[in-house]
Amino acid sequence: MTTTEIVTSAPGDRVETERVTRSPGVITVLGVELRKLAAQKRARFALVGCLVAPWVVTVVLKGQQRPPKDTLYGRHVHDSGFAVALFVLTFATQWVLPFLTALVAGDIFASEDHLGTWKTVLSRSVSRTHIFVAKCVAACLFATSVLVMLAASTIASGVLLVGRQSLVGLSGQRIRPSNAAALVSASWATALPPLLAFTAIAVVVSVASRNPAIGMVGPIVLGLVSQLVGWLGGIDTARRLLPTTPFDAWHGLLTEDRYYGLITQGALVSAGWIAVCLGGALVLMRRRDITGG
Amino acid sequence: MNEVLAVNASGVTKRYGELIALDAISMTVAQGEVYGVLGPNGAGKTTLLRMLFGLIRPDAGTLEVLGRSWPTDGIRTLDGVAGFIESPKFYPYLSGRRNLELLGRLDGLRSPDHVDEVLDVVDLTARADDKVGGYSFGMRQRLGVAASLLRAPRLLVLDEPANGLDPAGIRDMRALVKRLAEGGLTVLLSSHDMGEVEEICDNVTIMRAGTVVYHGMISALRAQAPDPAYRLLSSDNAHAVTLAARHADITVAQTPDAIAVRGTQRAVDAYVAHLVAEGVALRGLRIDETPLEELFFMLTEPDHGAAPANRGLDGARP
Repeated sequence: MTTTEIVTSAPGDRVETERVTRSPGVITVLGVELRKLAAQKRARFALVGCLVAPWVVTVVLKGQQRPPKDTLYGRHVHDSGFAVALFVLTFATQWVLPFLTALVAGDIFASEDHLGTWKTVLSRSVSRTHIFVAKCVAACLFATSVLVMLAASTIASGVLLVGRQSLVGLSGQRIRPSNAAALVSASWATALPPLLAFTAIAVVVSVASRNPAIGMVGPIVLGLVSQLVGWLGGIDTARRLLPTTPFDAWHGLLTEDRYYGLITQGALVSAGWIAVCLGGALVLMRRRDITGG
Repeated sequence: MNEVLAVNASGVTKRYGELIALDAISMTVAQGEVYGVLGPNGAGKTTLLRMLFGLIRPDAGTLEVLGRSWPTDGIRTLDGVAGFIESPKFYPYLSGRRNLELLGRLDGLRSPDHVDEVLDVVDLTARADDKVGGYSFGMRQRLGVAASLLRAPRLLVLDEPANGLDPAGIRDMRALVKRLAEGGLTVLLSSHDMGEVEEICDNVTIMRAGTVVYHGMISALRAQAPDPAYRLLSSDNAHAVTLAARHADITVAQTPDAIAVRGTQRAVDAYVAHLVAEGVALRGLRIDETPLEELFFMLTEPDHGAAPANRGLDGARP
């Protein structure tokens, strides 16, 4: 669709212009969302934190007399830089990754309510569905960026500050450095599906609550509750369906006999969470009346 | 006049539980009109305008904007339509220019020239690169107009555009709206200020509690308006009230500190001349309510005097 219109360009004057408005595609709307994201200090600080924090953590771990033995791979952090990367991964999946993705996904819809800008964007030539898709993709891109930067920085800091020694597997086997680099990278990659699931959870909380604070804190609380529930006995089936369980799927990569069932299962569970959360959020978004702002 | 109406609302209803925000509202706005939607707070003006933009869906009735409707045409309903609801809102962490550029992208516009052009129209060029978070209320209102003009609309919808502005800001905003209307835009303007609508608009819909109580030309409304009310201060108010008994064509009521006089200007002139002739010094005389304001209150406040004869009826349309 195109329209050619007349605008007033100066007091009392009428100027014909070839002004054309058209309904933009999702890519254009995504570009707008990414530009808004790039302008927000919170998002920039989070990404810088993902690059810097692993180096700080590695330096601190290296300087400690006693390694943190109560966390998986904690006892090996002085022995191999790859162990540092897996130690940080274990720690990050507990609440850091849900927190980082919720920083954007939990805010990206609710901030429009908070700022009263829904009426501003929804009175342009773009549908609610396009905006929804663009915001979700922007949140997922941010989550992926966070994971990639955190993983790359963690592996680099571990290898450069501690060393590129062989890694002890979960079955006690020795893994050569060349294999360890690939397995550690793959382990970090397995965190992507559950991270996107938490992104979707943050999105639906953001849409439903219309409150940025709840949108950001809600997924973290859900993650912590999910972990507590996962520690309970006698609920094996339910445990598999928890959004935090897929974060442990990398364990299958580091056993002597590798198994990928956990990764497949984790991906399916995460996909289920993503589908339910984003589907619900879309319905809420399309049906709601914009009365505030 | 174009055949397609700028706005054609028929039986539009919106309920929030027990509350009826709009009760079978019908209204037509022709293209090229400067149209006022007038009513006190809570009358349903903003709800109606939000429906034009698809922000709120009606429970019943049909609403067409420039010949299109949301159920049939979706987002295309907004082709040629722009404006803002209540105070316009922007991203405070972005500059005014950046806000407009991003909003322009949501309209498929890519040329930054248009942004400079509309910033110039609203006199914001000098502050365009400052973050909106530092803008005054009036600057945000003007940025709202600029964001609307970016769409090169045929129908400009402004919801209480002078709300919250200081007197100079109100004057500037009204001048801007008049200028835009002179450029051929259809302007739909909501307000709770009869004077503002009277100054700018040709036609008006007056709403009260979700219903239309008047729909038609301002001139027709003016013809049915009651006599103006004056507030008179004299050296001897009690005597002045007594003398009023000899003037059958005015009504007078004494208040604690003044006299309320209602009548035609000629009748009030005669009364004042009589007071002076009788040695009662005139210390002040000013209009308390303009005739249209008085009529507005009659229409929108159930306890404010008698309703005019046309209450609930359409005034003559051009």
